[in-house]
Amino acid sequence: MSRPVAQSGRQDLLCGLALALVFLCAPFPRLQAVFHVILVLALAPRVGAPLRTALWAAAGGWALEGALRLYPHMGGTPWADMTVALLVAWMAGRWPVEHLKGWLVRLAALAVLHTLLVHGAVRLAAGSHPWGSGWAWALASLPLWGWALWRLLYAGASPRRP
Amino acid sequence: MAIRASNWGWNPAGRRRYALILLWTGHGLWALFGQRPGELWARTAGLIARPAQRVASGWEHWREKRREQGRSYAELQAENARLRAQVAALELGAAQQAPRLTETDEAERLLGLRRQIPLQLSAARVIHSTRPEAFGGLILDGGREQGLVPDQGVLVPEGVVGRLWSVGPTQSKVLPADAPNASLAVMLARSRATGVLQGLGSGRAAIRYISNQEVVQVGEAVLTSGLDRVFPRGLLVGYVSEVIKGDLELRVTVQLSAPLDRIRLVLLLPPQPPLEVQEPFVAPEQRPARKRGMP
Repeated sequence: MSRPVAQSGRQDLLCGLALALVFLCAPFPRLQAVFHVILVLALAPRVGAPLRTALWAAAGGWALEGALRLYPHMGGTPWADMTVALLVAWMAGRWPVEHLKGWLVRLAALAVLHTLLVHGAVRLAAGSHPWGSGWAWALASLPLWGWALWRLLYAGASPRRP
Repeated sequence: MAIRASNWGWNPAGRRRYALILLWTGHGLWALFGQRPGELWARTAGLIARPAQRVASGWEHWREKRREQGRSYAELQAENARLRAQVAALELGAAQQAPRLTETDEAERLLGLRRQIPLQLSAARVIHSTRPEAFGGLILDGGREQGLVPDQGVLVPEGVVGRLWSVGPTQSKVLPADAPNASLAVMLARSRATGVLQGLGSGRAAIRYISNQEVVQVGEAVLTSGLDRVFPRGLLVGYVSEVIKGDLELRVTVQLSAPLDRIRLVLLLPPQPPLEVQEPFVAPEQRPARKRGMP
């Protein structure tokens, strides 16, 4: 899944767009959760650039925690985001996905893992809290944004599709 | 991402690797052991999010308007026909007064509460709510410029809502009493046992530190004890909904009386109010009157 420089720049642009949407959707927490998951699972991870992966994921986590939330101690979400994004990037290098179906199944599994890890990390940092419904919205809308990002990021000319 | 020996030296690849490790472990340690929330970050984020808050308040108004106009077009047409048949001007006037009457009712109830509590109370409007999500709260339309400070008590006629969590120049956030990180000093109306109320979400909370020797009944009123210096003693918080006996303490679940999801106007107590300002809302049980001269 390694991509040329132009495509990496486009991915950075999409990351910036998703980050802005996480901020701007603060008053709509369910929508914000969807953009947050998109940023962490699909846009931030990239093979061979773990620092950039971690920085975008951490930015997504801080944006979510810093916008209209009342966390008594912040930092749990960025840490969980970094961890999951690095795992996704590693998986993408180790087992590159070739088909849309595999991509969607992997995204769904990672979305569940991401939900659990974020909840656990925030519980450690800020104490027990309700689950909310953002994760369900992210999972329910996954086929839509998963397909769109597949078309946007991987359906063009790439090493996987000579 | 295979670990190679050359990546651990002081070269660009190694430096990137060290930066990544520092970032990841730093965040982990900060999340685990940090003492204070990033106040500066929260302030900056609040500033950036302000335009979106304005959009949200417009969105909420639009949704409210749409709810009021939720009837189908055909029904509206039929209603229009009926209205034409009746005295049009009078009916139109009444329809225009309806939303105002609702708001006036709410304002009247707030005024009544304000008269009951002999303190300098101020009112504020709820412009947005992020309550359904984890760590969500209420956004008020008053801030530092209106003289608000953090930790002021917030209440409505039905009961206690919470306290001010953070205050911006023109807006402030309320930490509701059912939030998992909210705590409130309370006492039980009948036994007068005091404890600490901790939020459980969805309009519910639990009282900690009540000895299992106390007799607590389901339906018993829960009042503020005033020991937290946020609320004076005797304001209604909610009613006991469940009591489970533990090894050392009772596990008391409380249904909060304030409708936290449907609040539009709130009253704000002054900072650090006096402990005792009034008789409790729920009067204690009456004792039989003693005859004069009798011990």
